[in-house]
Amino acid sequence: MGIPSVPLVTKAFKDLALLNAAKRGMPHERICFTPHPVWGKTAEEVRAYVDGPDPVSGKPLMKEVVDGLTVPLSDDEKKSGSVSVSIGPDTFTDTADNLQEFYLNNGYTDFLPIIIPTEEKVEAMMKATSHKPDEKVGEMAAGAYPRWSYNARQVAVNAVMAGCKPEYFPIILAIASSGVASLFSSTNSFAFAMIINGPIRDKLEFNYGIGALGPFAQPNATIGRAWTILSKNLGNGGIPGDTYLGSLGNNLNYNNVVIAEHEDASPWPPFHVQRGFKKAENVVSLFRGLGVVPGQVARGSSANENVQFDYQMSDLFSTFTGFFGALIIADPLVAARLKEQGYDTKEKLFAWLHKNTTQTVKDYKSRNYAYLFDYPRALRGDEPWASWYKMPDDAVIPHFPHVSDFNIVVAGGQTNAYPQAGNLSYGVSVSIDKWA
Amino acid sequence: MSPVALAGVPALAAKDKKPDQKKPTAASGGPKLEVLNPRGLPPPITLIPMAKRLDTLDGKTVYLVSDGFPGADAFLNQMSIWFKKNMPSVTTVYRLKAGGFADDDPKLNTEIKEKGQAVIMAIGH
Repeated sequence: MGIPSVPLVTKAFKDLALLNAAKRGMPHERICFTPHPVWGKTAEEVRAYVDGPDPVSGKPLMKEVVDGLTVPLSDDEKKSGSVSVSIGPDTFTDTADNLQEFYLNNGYTDFLPIIIPTEEKVEAMMKATSHKPDEKVGEMAAGAYPRWSYNARQVAVNAVMAGCKPEYFPIILAIASSGVASLFSSTNSFAFAMIINGPIRDKLEFNYGIGALGPFAQPNATIGRAWTILSKNLGNGGIPGDTYLGSLGNNLNYNNVVIAEHEDASPWPPFHVQRGFKKAENVVSLFRGLGVVPGQVARGSSANENVQFDYQMSDLFSTFTGFFGALIIADPLVAARLKEQGYDTKEKLFAWLHKNTTQTVKDYKSRNYAYLFDYPRALRGDEPWASWYKMPDDAVIPHFPHVSDFNIVVAGGQTNAYPQAGNLSYGVSVSIDKWA
Repeated sequence: MSPVALAGVPALAAKDKKPDQKKPTAASGGPKLEVLNPRGLPPPITLIPMAKRLDTLDGKTVYLVSDGFPGADAFLNQMSIWFKKNMPSVTTVYRLKAGGFADDDPKLNTEIKEKGQAVIMAIGH
């Protein structure tokens, strides 16, 4: 803007603020810090923060702020130009045990043992694609950071490390090409999921039966793991305090939620067909959100001859944040029952859920995410938030802004009629075949 | 070299280590293997000269901008009170930035350029 400015950041985000300012070209930005947190403090407590010291420098905060706007710039602060950045040598040489430790110590892994990416193993991985090793695959960042880029060979290195077989590689390339990192900077500790559709599910022996979401098949386990490892190494994600701020973290980040759809047991078209692909195409679809919860916690889910899964789902979704969508992961028995109830299309189910999962404007406005994310969008005039913020407190509005916030996928072994549900938003579907 | 060190923040360079800075703690036998670096390519850093500072805040209008994170509004309100008490010639204007927290707000930027001389932006939590 060309206007002198001073950013104020709470102390908990010191490294994030300083590192990100440097990476964005302002290594000497005059950032001032307050104690953490400021949220939820009384006016008196906040006033004490303003009157007190910057907890990083120890100097009076307001003097720092005023100085930040008025003290003339140093030569370093006036610098322009470009600085290239190196990520080190192309190769490392050591014994297998030492290399295992080396990768772990440098944050290249998920802190589980990896397959050491020798040239031979990476070459074998590359043979599973027609794409050239130096072809650019995509760019990735784990939040509002400068995006890193990578080629097919670099993706292959990460696929090897995660334990993937070469035949899985087109899926890894498809995921990498999306630019979606499975580690995200947010303090909310995001979770990620993928749906695999198409004949490749059987060809690679994905598990979509009993224990579909569990550790019972190599492709389910390692492809999800590869997404996280490549998000660290190719997208520079997952560095605590720098590119990762999740307060609690998320156990699902180890290998994400990998769902191979049980297409033949579904009463509806498979997920990728909904997204415009042909049934015979192989597709990976990516989701982002907060996690997955069991459907058994919903009211009315005890043994019952006529379990109303629509009401159960609505009940469950009313506890979700509407900032993200709702992904139903339905065992085939649940899907069959929903169809018996009259939901012969997914669209009918989504329309019912959107209409019947509601909240009052007062409850909505009291939610943290509404103030944090939706109110600024309302100010910009984005709908439906702009209209919601004009309604009276007792008005009833949908819990989720759009019908398209709902999705369903069928997986599981039909040992019981239990659903799970993710507070997860659909992001993108990518052709796997393009990367074969 | 670390991007941070290159960009001139040596105190933080340790947070962004070169891959050869941490050596294995225990030696082990066996043949040596050559393995590949798994990292992607970071973009070059384009240094941005900071905006010229003001000679004084006296008589100036300072925009207090919240990015929407909880608590930023209350904090900036107390800053406004501080200015009234300690630097009464300064006019403060509070604004909540529209859009996502990382999005630009072009309308607000235009307003600040027209009516303000300085910005304090609070990134709460």
